[in-house]
Amino acid sequence: MAGPLQQFQINPIIPIEFGGYDISFTNSALWMTLAVVVTTVLMVFSMRQKALVPGRWQNVGEILYEFISNMVQDTIGREGRKYFPFVFSIFMIVLMGNLLGMIPGSFTYTSHIIVTGVLAMVVFLGATFIGFARHGLHFFSLFVPKGLPIFILPLIFCIEVLSYLSRPVSLSVRLFANMMAGHTMLKIFAGFCVSLPIIASIMPMLVIVALVGFEILVAFIQAYVFAILTCVYLKDGIELH
Amino acid sequence: MSENKDLKSRIAAAKAKHDDDPTNDPGYNPDKEAEGKAMGTAMRAGVELVSAVAVGAFIGYWIDQWLGTSPFGMIILFFLGFAAGFLNIYKAQTGNYHKTGIGQLTNTEKNGQKDAEKPEK
Repeated sequence: MAGPLQQFQINPIIPIEFGGYDISFTNSALWMTLAVVVTTVLMVFSMRQKALVPGRWQNVGEILYEFISNMVQDTIGREGRKYFPFVFSIFMIVLMGNLLGMIPGSFTYTSHIIVTGVLAMVVFLGATFIGFARHGLHFFSLFVPKGLPIFILPLIFCIEVLSYLSRPVSLSVRLFANMMAGHTMLKIFAGFCVSLPIIASIMPMLVIVALVGFEILVAFIQAYVFAILTCVYLKDGIELH
Repeated sequence: MSENKDLKSRIAAAKAKHDDDPTNDPGYNPDKEAEGKAMGTAMRAGVELVSAVAVGAFIGYWIDQWLGTSPFGMIILFFLGFAAGFLNIYKAQTGNYHKTGIGQLTNTEKNGQKDAEKPEK
């Protein structure tokens, strides 16, 4: 029987080696590609009819669009409109990774910290770069609250900088840990099902049913949290206080 | 006839409300959205503290390796990281400190100022 962590193993599907580096097309890459394809197909097909009264599919597309559009508008404000495509892409790639991972036998690429870490670094470096580009060295005033007495300024500055640097870590670890813990737990309870006698195995089965529902909730919430934190970090770069 | 008038005024009110605030949609349920937001905020708190401590300790360790000040850099930055972690939680929960994020929106809703003017951004 496969161990509970075996589902996270990366297997090359098409082995490719380039310049001494292993850049094989793996199962992780396969599901990322699928996520992009599913998102594109969903958005293109839902918007194809352009009906005034939306049908089912168009409704899905409009809900997704309005959800992120409102989030960007509420969090960043009018300035944030031009970052909408970025936030929407981030949201969809995380949401699709989480939801496609709920299909039995699939691979959850958001359960790997290297994937979430790169996503978080893109957001973090992007926001920092925007901050420096818009404000220059004045950007450092982000780390100094207004009306701060001068003699505790160095201490507060250090704490604020550490708090700022911990952003990509917390952003990536939160998503990765949630997804990995959930999927491991599912596998462990599934293991109980197999090893218990047939009558008693009803109990872990019920737990699994509840957990699957909970995991789908977590998939949505984590994508939401990732997207809104992207907005919050972008806002910090766009406007100082 | 009165029914018709009623409907007209309701449509007008709905249109006026709908102008720029999406939360005034007829199908909008503030309880449900607040619940989702609260859940999101709760999910953030734990990781915020741990990540800041980890980052602080890591930077301290790195400074020690670089300057040979072991173990003081790690000790000092560990505690600074701890402080930063609490700052993170405080920011995430209140949202008032730097006027960012979910916290502020939920606070505004809690205080029943949803129909009042949105805070200037």
